[in-house]
Amino acid sequence: MAIRKKPEMINQQVGWCGGCGHGIVQRLIAECCEELGLVEKTVQVVDIACAYWSIDTLNCDGIAGPHGRCAAVATGIKKVRPEANVYVHAGDGCSYVIGLAETCYTAMRDIPITMIVVNNGTFGMTGGQMNPATTLLGDKTVSSVKGRDEKAAGKPFDMLKILETFDIEYAARGALYDTKHINQTKKMLKKGFENQRDGKGFSIIEILSPCPTNWKMSPVDSMIKLEKENELIFPVRVYKDRGGEK
Amino acid sequence: MAIAKADINLCKGCRLCVGACPVDAIEPLHEVNKKGYEIIRIDENKCIGCGMCYVMCPDYVFTVE
Repeated sequence: MAIRKKPEMINQQVGWCGGCGHGIVQRLIAECCEELGLVEKTVQVVDIACAYWSIDTLNCDGIAGPHGRCAAVATGIKKVRPEANVYVHAGDGCSYVIGLAETCYTAMRDIPITMIVVNNGTFGMTGGQMNPATTLLGDKTVSSVKGRDEKAAGKPFDMLKILETFDIEYAARGALYDTKHINQTKKMLKKGFENQRDGKGFSIIEILSPCPTNWKMSPVDSMIKLEKENELIFPVRVYKDRGGEK
Repeated sequence: MAIAKADINLCKGCRLCVGACPVDAIEPLHEVNKKGYEIIRIDENKCIGCGMCYVMCPDYVFTVE
């Protein structure tokens, strides 16, 4: 039987709430970097949000970009150090709301970085405000106390549908609600890092993740909500795989 | 045979491992660890070492060896 052990790249305890999906995402990133032998060359770019915990926990170079500007910071690092393995670990508020322009322009330039977006349907670290791009209709948050209303706040939108129309290498969405989907997500992340290693182009992987603290649910219930409700609006699949042809 | 071992000091009591285990070898307890979270216990007789708890755990509690 295979031995399964925490990756050596993770050298401290994690700081996220109990049941948070960020911990699983961080482990998948560390496993992919170790399996591909990229740990020494890795530079992580994190967001000023929940993803910031991983700058202390992972034993590799890293920088925290201003909130929303992670893709732009990663573009700069990749331009001056083309041999580095640059990845962005950010949330949905950073990538799709505040930093939408940065995400779109990085995709437009087709910079060969790996962008990992953790979609938990809320602004987690600031206390659970409504996310215009990913909070589902009817979900109660601190800035939509009676549930999200379509007339007042519009509908959630599948942002990978926009990003797949750009000339990028890879766009896919994974989920974390059971072990099968976690293993599938790991394959997507590995593909993203391989595309970067081979210099193919921009890869974006969005991951559906629970936020039990701000959804005000138990971790087990929030995994059920993720499967029954969020996956209907945000389907788990590969949106685009260009195959290295430019 | 490989079996799972748990470092309960890292546990945050989310109970995701309980549902992920295919043979119901993980038992939720009401005892708490140093941080104050309710912990779990692995039944070593039932464990088959599949590693599903390792895959699911967000806090890296489990080691399978």
